[in-house]
Amino acid sequence: MSQNKLKILVLDDEPIVCKRLQPALEKLGFTVDTFTRSFEALQAVESSTYDIIITDLKMEGMDGMRFLTEAKKISPEVEVIVITGFATMETAKESFKKGVFDFIAKPFNLGEIQQVVQRAAAKIRESRK
Amino acid sequence: MAFPEVFDHFQALLKDHQTAMEMIADLAEKSGGDYIFDRKYLVDALHEIKALLLKIVKGLNFITGNRCPDLYPTLDRIFMPLEAELRGRLSLSEEMPLVASLDALPLDKPELTGGKANTLAEVRRRLHLPVPNGFVITTRAYRRFLECNQLEDRLATVLESWSAGRLGDRQASRQIQYSILASVVCPDVARVVKRQLESSLENWAVRSSAYGEGGDLTFAGLHESFLNVPASDLLETYKKVLASLYSPEALSYRRQMGMLGEEAAMAVLCQAMVNSLVSGVVHTLNLEEPASDNLVIYASPGLGRTVVEGRANIDRFVVARSPSHAIQHIEVASKETLIRAAAAEGEKEAAISLEERDKPCISEDDLQTLASWALTLERYFKRPQEIEWAQDSKGQIWILQTRRLTLPPAAAALAPNVCESCALYPVLIQGQGTVAHAGIGCGPVYQIQTNEDLQEFPEGAILVSRYTAPWLAPIVPRAAAIISARGSAAGHLATIAREFRVPALVGVAQATELLKPGMEITVDTHRRVVYAGKVKELLQYELVQATVFEDTPEFRLLRRLLRRIAPLTLIDPQAPDFTPQACKSVHDVLRYVHEKAVQELLDLPRFLKRFRGAKIWTLLSEVPIGLKILDLGGGIDPAVRGQQVKVEHLRSLPLRALWEGVEAPGVWSTEPVQVDFKGLLSSLTKTSTSEFAGYNLAVVTETYLNLHLRLGYHFNLIDARMDPDPHHNHIYFRFVGGATDISRRSRRARLLEQILTGYHFKVDTKGDLVVARILHLPQDEMRGRLRVLGELIGFTRQLDIQLRSDEDIPQFVQTFAGRHPHGEAAKTTGG
Repeated sequence: MSQNKLKILVLDDEPIVCKRLQPALEKLGFTVDTFTRSFEALQAVESSTYDIIITDLKMEGMDGMRFLTEAKKISPEVEVIVITGFATMETAKESFKKGVFDFIAKPFNLGEIQQVVQRAAAKIRESRK
Repeated sequence: MAFPEVFDHFQALLKDHQTAMEMIADLAEKSGGDYIFDRKYLVDALHEIKALLLKIVKGLNFITGNRCPDLYPTLDRIFMPLEAELRGRLSLSEEMPLVASLDALPLDKPELTGGKANTLAEVRRRLHLPVPNGFVITTRAYRRFLECNQLEDRLATVLESWSAGRLGDRQASRQIQYSILASVVCPDVARVVKRQLESSLENWAVRSSAYGEGGDLTFAGLHESFLNVPASDLLETYKKVLASLYSPEALSYRRQMGMLGEEAAMAVLCQAMVNSLVSGVVHTLNLEEPASDNLVIYASPGLGRTVVEGRANIDRFVVARSPSHAIQHIEVASKETLIRAAAAEGEKEAAISLEERDKPCISEDDLQTLASWALTLERYFKRPQEIEWAQDSKGQIWILQTRRLTLPPAAAALAPNVCESCALYPVLIQGQGTVAHAGIGCGPVYQIQTNEDLQEFPEGAILVSRYTAPWLAPIVPRAAAIISARGSAAGHLATIAREFRVPALVGVAQATELLKPGMEITVDTHRRVVYAGKVKELLQYELVQATVFEDTPEFRLLRRLLRRIAPLTLIDPQAPDFTPQACKSVHDVLRYVHEKAVQELLDLPRFLKRFRGAKIWTLLSEVPIGLKILDLGGGIDPAVRGQQVKVEHLRSLPLRALWEGVEAPGVWSTEPVQVDFKGLLSSLTKTSTSEFAGYNLAVVTETYLNLHLRLGYHFNLIDARMDPDPHHNHIYFRFVGGATDISRRSRRARLLEQILTGYHFKVDTKGDLVVARILHLPQDEMRGRLRVLGELIGFTRQLDIQLRSDEDIPQFVQTFAGRHPHGEAAKTTGG
């Protein structure tokens, strides 16, 4: 059963987001790696295969969009979930219509993110049947 | 200014007030751990609240013709420290004490009191476990020490050379320690310390309490502690403890942990010395077999050092974690010597008599007490604990220290496939309810119906109840988790659950039916699941793996902010200190503004003079209360003509509900009344017939009611909202006054308290004042409670006269409850 586990990468420059998401997603049966720096996350995407990427859009000193573009280039199959502040939600939705599975606004509760991730996982499993 | 304009402002003010209250409730909910947020969210939220408050205060000044200018400096006074908290600059400010007793120190400032003192104060005050009393000399006093001895530059120079590698740990340590020991404790600190010492003749344990200690980084054993210190030596010893902040070991540890550049600060904890006959350590997990469900207790005769420092032979007991903590395994060591407190000061080694050497040094009962306390500590701190304890000559066991138990890598690898393990357990409830406080709890279900059951509630059980009634608060610290069928994550009980870190799920519709008393269950709020049985893998995962969100900087910050935002301390608008100056929190300001705005409308004669266009209705009712109604929109059937309105034409949901109660048969007593009561009634009639005198005015909308009623000498205020969305709903009820002496009036206040508590109101009484609040119930539940309030208004008119002694209270509670055979109030007696 373990080999069927989907792998998730979480990138957010706020350590609290990573710390809280990891156990919440592990409990749903995913393998979770977390990063607070985009270049380290990008290295991980290059060296390992992820099924789902969860990333913040606005991070200090880096561009979430660029990370996404790069990650998608390396791994076009990956489903991306974007975390964003309320203020940037609309712009985010507009510019990411393609290639992003869904958006989630900060602050969010565990139930919300778990739901979105489950939907992404269902889509992945469906496509691999 | 024209009436419609003021009217619009008043409506806008009410709306902003409601929004602000919801933002506060929302922040409180965020502190329950179900939401993921970052610092930026807190900054934004605070700015938003501040902007809204400013708008509200401006609005009030507009309505009152600028008669509340004092509120502007009040806003500054309340928001300045909040903003300082956001910048992280408050903890060492002048506002913070140099010395604070364990029972008075702020629990949310470990950077001020150090990890050890903060933890022990929590254990003493929140968990009520025995911790020797004492005081802490704070990190602010440490800064004072550096300041008044001009040590800052000296330390900085040495530490710079040290971090650059030009000085070794040992050299740097010697130079700094010499400087510290050669300095003097500044007079202002010495003075407050001596004041703390006056109260006691005992000797002291003087212990390091560095920030970080006991938290994420363990400085365990790196800093010095001194036992059995006489009061006369305390200040000298204090310096030695400060100096140990820069011991070679501490410096080397800081280097390893990459804390070169970080400022160190030391608080020092002074506690009454426990002259222990036996002392030891508890590990809430057996490190040798982490997967087993046991804890381990170590014990040896004498002072604790023998166990902590591993110096002598020690008894070891393996005890089951589950009640009743059966003893699984005993290893009794042969103990030849012990360390005990010397007669005057210090410690000495002594021999143990031959017949005592090979006996266990602690009784079975004491082992079980220790096991149960240890698990209470683990449940609260959410991590396996290492607990130092001691037993004195009277047999009393004391908790000396508790901190996170460092686990071997093998333990950290436990439960890697927690999801698969959980799938093996039957799910009783899933995806229901709102998280009031996040976490995992396991135990037997205990359903509470009346507050007589409170005493029976077993330690570590899961509280299952229909409502989040505030009278349940005393058992929260003993509960492993709370599940309620109704209730709000912003209510009083939810606040208490967060205070005591008890996982709580509210609004789980069928909780009381599905979760039967005695059933063992496991609650996981992260997935909002209730499993049948004990999900061992999940509990272990949580203890070992998951983040203790309560300890993260973001949550600590939110809690500190909330302390200046959420509490309501302005309770009595009639009190002389109901002023802007007395406002202590954002909530207080909102309360004050709301009261003042409504008062402005209530001053009817003046109001009508000011605004001739305002339409005031008169209610036609069987009950002789000349109620005037001001409709802000949707409160009265638009088809009604003239000035008078019948009850059936009321569209305001809360007013209708209340009036159903007032007019209910038998409430407005028509029985023959005694002379006293007749007098009361006559005064009542007088008030109600004279036009606009008194305060019989309802301000309404379709879903809102603000009602002031003066009946004889009784003064009632009800502020209520009945929206389809329960999150907007509240009832605020205030009752005061009466024609009789204060003792009878207080008696009546206690009666009201008992009845309202039975309907899950949060009730505060002060003399003859009763203030009751309830939040976030659905419309139909609000309707029921407003009807009850209506009945109470009629009912209490008679009480001053008829309540002759305290013994009459239960009978009246019964009489009232008899009218509501289905209410829980019928079963709830006592306070």
